[in-house]
Amino acid sequence: MNTESLLQRFRDPQLARQLVAEIHALARSPMTFMEFCGGHTHAIMQFGIRQLMPPTVRLLSGPGCPVCVTSQADIDQAIALAQLPDVILTTFGDMVRVPGTQNTLQEAAAHGADVRIVYSPLDAVRLAQDHPERRVVFLGVGFETTAPGVAASILQAEALGLENYAVFSMHKYTPPAMRAILDMGEIRLNGVIGPGHVSTIIGSDAWSFLPEDYGIPVVVSGFEPVDILLTIRELVAQVARGEAKVVNAYGRAVLPQGNRAALDIMNRVFHVADADWRGFGVLPASGMAIRPEYRLFDAAHRFTLPEIPSREPPGCRCGDVLRGVIEPPECPLFGKVCTPDTPKGPCMVSDEGACSAHYLYRSVEIAEPASNS
Amino acid sequence: MCLAVPAKILHIEGHEAEVDFGGIRRTVSVQLLPQARVGDYVLVHTGFAIGLVDEEEALETLELLRQMGDLEPWEPTA
Ligand code: SF4
Repeated sequence: MNTESLLQRFRDPQLARQLVAEIHALARSPMTFMEFCGGHTHAIMQFGIRQLMPPTVRLLSGPGCPVCVTSQADIDQAIALAQLPDVILTTFGDMVRVPGTQNTLQEAAAHGADVRIVYSPLDAVRLAQDHPERRVVFLGVGFETTAPGVAASILQAEALGLENYAVFSMHKYTPPAMRAILDMGEIRLNGVIGPGHVSTIIGSDAWSFLPEDYGIPVVVSGFEPVDILLTIRELVAQVARGEAKVVNAYGRAVLPQGNRAALDIMNRVFHVADADWRGFGVLPASGMAIRPEYRLFDAAHRFTLPEIPSREPPGCRCGDVLRGVIEPPECPLFGKVCTPDTPKGPCMVSDEGACSAHYLYRSVEIAEPASNS
Repeated sequence: MCLAVPAKILHIEGHEAEVDFGGIRRTVSVQLLPQARVGDYVLVHTGFAIGLVDEEEALETLELLRQMGDLEPWEPTA
């Protein structure tokens, strides 16, 4: 069997309908679940899963969008890096349109900065090899899914003896943000839809603190409609039975202990540090800084960056969206001045941002109004 | 950004593997997944294979779901 036909079966409408019916039958009391991952938010909106829920089940987007949680100060520093002489700034595509305090990377590029979108950090290493006279900086934005590959790129640069490759690490760990949301107590959650590909790396066991410390279930989910519905059904069933457990509903891609080799490489290059999150402020032990042994490849160490008085985009409620305190349409700018073509904040830029998901799939909501039954 | 796409490994040489994304071929790194073998399905993220896709496990999930459907006939609510 090829992957396409296997995936097709996780989109089977018959199975989806069966799961929706079970969710309706089981969800007798009101309950709220947060999908941590922005990829889940997009899938949920795209497939109209919210509209299929009974009125008792509320789904809420979480902070699982690496570009969105990057602080304004870090965005401004990244743009400043791009403007240094000799620098080629390499990044994943989402970052170039995120509004900094003064401008975006795209605008900096229009004024002469050399900004290049890459698919892989290894492409950035190759660029450094091809341009020994330039300094190549890679913007390391991402969670545990992405950080091991960036770590591998540093090891590769070291093996090649490259001195003109550096990473600006803004990588973050996901569990501290989940804890922060629950500790802040702004919203009440009855369960969490666990991030699938983060868990491929860290393992489903990494989420056991949710039942243990907060008494709520967590179900690690894949990204197809049947995966997500199966996850919600498991959450609803646990709440109905008064249980709270870690369940891995994405067994085809996630092991309880995660990916050891990837974790080893990640931990070899990065150490745990405090990190500044949009919407949260500084969360202790939530970020990945480059270890002193690899200082040569640490852009934060190699470059002196100017102090920039950073200011978040006026009126943007992205931080509140990331904590689940408001839904994107509650932002006064949503869909009016802020759209994917004219994004005011990162939540409207990123492919994983909740604002962009709500905007892109708003027609799904209109075409299929909640049946309320 | 945490998007990962399944692909089949066609060939491995050192840290590099040639993979097939349903017709499109690309070279990816298997450095983060040293246990990967030719013929395996893997999840690819930013040019790295990050996890194996366990086909049997996937089929088992689907089978379990189907059996539940058989046992408890459901009524569409719409
Ligand atoms: S709609 Fe735009 S301005 Fe409002 S929170 Fe989202 S990104 Fe910010």
